[in-house]
Amino acid sequence: MNTLVPAIGFGIVTASILAVAGVGFTLQFGVTNILNLAFGDIMTAAAFVAYLVTNAGASVWVAMVAGAAFGAVFSVALNRFLYTPFVRRGTRLFGMIIVAIAVSLIVQNGLLAIFGANFFSLRMPRPTSVHVAGMVLTTVQLAIIGIAVATMIVIHLLLRYTKLGKAMRATATDPELARNCGIATDRVIDLAWTISGALCGLAGVILVMNVTAFTDTTGSGFLIPIIAVAVLGGIGQPYGAMLGALVIGLASELAAAVFSPDYKNVVAFVILVIVLLARPQGILSEIATRKEVAA
Amino acid sequence: MRIAVTSLGVALTLAVAAACSSASGGGSHPATLVVGEFNPFSGPDAAFGPEMVGGCVPAVRLINADGGVLRHRLTCVEEDTKGDPSDAVTAAEQMMATQTHLIGVLGPSSDEALATVPVLNGGHVPMFADTGQAAFDHSKYPYFWRITPADDVKGYALAIWAHQKGYTRAAAIFGSDVGAQSDVPTLVTAFTKLGGTITYSKPLALQQTSYRTEIENMLAGHPQVIFTEVDPQTGATFLSELQQLHGLIPVIGTEVSLQAPWLRAVKGAIGAGAMVKSFTGMQPYAPANTPGWTVYNKSLLTSGISNPSQWSTDPYSMTYYDGVVVMALAMIAANSTNPSVFNAYITQVTEPGSGKTVVHTYAAGRAALRAGKQIQYVGAGGPIVFNFWHNSTGAFEAAQYVNGQLKVAGTVTAAQIAQLTK
Repeated sequence: MNTLVPAIGFGIVTASILAVAGVGFTLQFGVTNILNLAFGDIMTAAAFVAYLVTNAGASVWVAMVAGAAFGAVFSVALNRFLYTPFVRRGTRLFGMIIVAIAVSLIVQNGLLAIFGANFFSLRMPRPTSVHVAGMVLTTVQLAIIGIAVATMIVIHLLLRYTKLGKAMRATATDPELARNCGIATDRVIDLAWTISGALCGLAGVILVMNVTAFTDTTGSGFLIPIIAVAVLGGIGQPYGAMLGALVIGLASELAAAVFSPDYKNVVAFVILVIVLLARPQGILSEIATRKEVAA
Repeated sequence: MRIAVTSLGVALTLAVAAACSSASGGGSHPATLVVGEFNPFSGPDAAFGPEMVGGCVPAVRLINADGGVLRHRLTCVEEDTKGDPSDAVTAAEQMMATQTHLIGVLGPSSDEALATVPVLNGGHVPMFADTGQAAFDHSKYPYFWRITPADDVKGYALAIWAHQKGYTRAAAIFGSDVGAQSDVPTLVTAFTKLGGTITYSKPLALQQTSYRTEIENMLAGHPQVIFTEVDPQTGATFLSELQQLHGLIPVIGTEVSLQAPWLRAVKGAIGAGAMVKSFTGMQPYAPANTPGWTVYNKSLLTSGISNPSQWSTDPYSMTYYDGVVVMALAMIAANSTNPSVFNAYITQVTEPGSGKTVVHTYAAGRAALRAGKQIQYVGAGGPIVFNFWHNSTGAFEAAQYVNGQLKVAGTVTAAQIAQLTK
């Protein structure tokens, strides 16, 4: 019992990182229908940008902004100059997955070539421990939870109360109909990539703030849980991804506390499979049932 | 048309014949002979590969500077196993198919040895393995050679050092990968035999975002010391979270934790001061300043590889260096570059014996062999004495990381280990 309460706290930290990444991943997929498997590597690249920024003497907050900005610019460029030309040529889902894997390998090996096979840490003040409701968290982890909550609120406000949010939801539901209704879907897609990329970059930076040391493969190792979060919530569903992140984050930490660290991933993915057996469209899917996953 | 096809066939046949003949015994075309650096260069154990380069390149430079082996130059070629058995089998098969002049490999490591040793042995490729798996303690593969200690020996060394320091309660934090887990059984047996208690021992899932739950569980057993072997990222996350939650307790790591990427990652996460205070790593003992080491180090520092000094006192780099030199000397002793022939001569150039000339360098060994003498090569890592199963092990040193350098804090002798294994 004494390890269960702290495990919930640690689960919330993991869920926070997963939520930022998972919402970014699923938001872009919902609008564009492209499974961007280079997402984890873009997270790593953003972490390296943050590393360079902190090494130049800037604070970790500036590094977060820089990482998010890099993620946004890189993702938009990736879509404009690579993914879109393939889509226009009629490349289907499987082909796009191969292209995304190629991008993933290029980014990963590019980072390896530039930075070498080594481990890096962001320069930031050493965190102090804080006791909260029976849980011991660090100031960095509290900051990560705060950033995730703030990000989720902003995403909620964006999707619910702005024209852009409505346009994104309309494009995600039926791009053809949205276009016929006068929505500039190309612009909406660009903005979806921008927001997704910014979340991706931000997730990369907060991930390496938490793990403290990272290398060229750190983000790609995090891709499977991100996809699990997106699928669990209902692919293309930002709110589902938030819930999915909470489920996966808590389940993995509680499994480590109750059973063994070996079961951390096992339990999380068993829950994923069980949920999908009951609700193949994911927990909160409105769109996935209506939308053909294959392009 | 028929003439053209026939000519092409003849040309191809001649080309293949030329390639084959040059690999098998000093043919008329001195081809460049290949030493495969068969280890992970990417993935969680990517740190292994550069360590191997730090041994192979200095050896090849010295051999080539001395005129090569039977007029052939040598070169080191990286073969990335990615630390994954299935990728490694593909890499091994590809290497054997494409490297016509392959004379031997350094590796495989524990990550891929079980899958690839039979493949390499079947291809008659001598291998100087860095795997520590106990499965090879009684290896019956004739092309398998190991001059680094087995993991079960490593477990004994960790336990003895902790016992010497007065620790009686310990936690074993080892990654869930095959390489790390193979250390655990003998560590637990040895520490218990010495009167200690292992309070926590569960395989750690690697590269997670947090280990705080595992740390809470571990701390419930009140360990005085942590034994560990995990990858750099996992080590950094685990130890920084331990530091934040509870404060660090002494850590004794295996040689994996003395590799430059591990030290860099963990130092960045917990701070240099904490490293000095809390951390010790055990690695095979290879005394510096011996004649063999001096030659190795000089060649290493002028080799042009990145940051060479980090490998100066690395016992694994030294044994890789020795592996290349031993193969080269065996080729001269056999008067053949054919691995199927010179493999049997490896013990001839390493084992001690009365009347043998002790040599510390390739050049000296080559000269002695040319003069018709029998030699014992004692290289950078010290004497190599293979047992019946082609294993050669020695003592261990406890190293601490002080001011960016590894300092020897003490040793665990081969006799102490032998006493425990009785």
